[in-house]
Amino acid sequence: MIRDFAAWLQTTGISVKIQSISWIIPVLQSTHIVMIGIVFVSSLMIALRVLGSVRTDEPFATVWNRFAPWMWSGLVVMALTGLVLIIGEPVREFTAVSFWLKMSLLPISVISIFMFGRTVRPDARTSTTAEFSAGRKAAALATIVLWLAIIFLCRAIAYDSAVWGHLSQHA
Amino acid sequence: MATPEIIKVLEGSAPAEWMRMSLLSMPVVEAIHVLTAAIVFGTILIVDLRLLGFPNVHRSFTRIEHEVLRFTWGAFIISVVTGILMFAANATTYYGNTAFRLKMLALLIAGVNMAAFELVTKRNVASWDKDVTPARGARFAGAASIAIWLAVLFIARWIAWTKGYNYAIPDNVNFDFSAQ
Repeated sequence: MIRDFAAWLQTTGISVKIQSISWIIPVLQSTHIVMIGIVFVSSLMIALRVLGSVRTDEPFATVWNRFAPWMWSGLVVMALTGLVLIIGEPVREFTAVSFWLKMSLLPISVISIFMFGRTVRPDARTSTTAEFSAGRKAAALATIVLWLAIIFLCRAIAYDSAVWGHLSQHA
Repeated sequence: MATPEIIKVLEGSAPAEWMRMSLLSMPVVEAIHVLTAAIVFGTILIVDLRLLGFPNVHRSFTRIEHEVLRFTWGAFIISVVTGILMFAANATTYYGNTAFRLKMLALLIAGVNMAAFELVTKRNVASWDKDVTPARGARFAGAASIAIWLAVLFIARWIAWTKGYNYAIPDNVNFDFSAQ
């Protein structure tokens, strides 16, 4: 059913338009990668602050205020460029195991970072000496690993059958 | 145009052969290359924006630089190694590819910009390290760096769409030529 939907989407006017202009997809992919750099490094800095590895001279709130706006803005541009890429190449995306895995992991990592911003204790938020709990540090580490997996899966979409073998629907 | 001997030697090397024949080598190496390139850009952007005085000048530039550039250099080294592996697999084609040459030129310019900053502009860093607007040369280096690294990333993606492959792809490897 997904394959039928993808095949139909690929024949729609907007998809055909995207496919017919040769520079659109490379430019969108490049923009998507630039956004990955901004979003991942912003999340990394927030997570590393929780782990006590960077910017320990600043309270968590300052680090959050420095990087969260870049992260959210980057995510919006990433989502928009990703959406146009999907409309332009729906069969390639919807039939790839890596695509669905990536889309499953993405909300987990975004919610995870969002929760850091919302649920940090007031003293940890404004103090430079407060330690984060072991659970919170584990969550920060897990967020970094999730992002690494997501970025890996992004590129793996182009090689779906090589990576996933018979699980992949790529011909 | 004659292909230099070193390009042919590189293409005939064992790592190049491994890159061509292994089912997973290309996706894994390429994914690591993209990941590390993203880290290089994202981390260097923090330093470049600070040179431009963003988000503010209250935190010492040298402290930010020291803290962030270890990630940049670590990622850059991995990026170079994975880049050489990808180049070796298909060296003759990459060598003749205009986008690839432009990317190397952009990387060279990035290096010159960084060297000029490190050797000249940064000599008087004490006078603009904290709480004052960075020197004009420092601001220029930051703006130039952002522009150059954006160019590197955009041109890099262009290579995949223009180069093609000059070797026989193994039967069990499925390259999706329609969508790189």
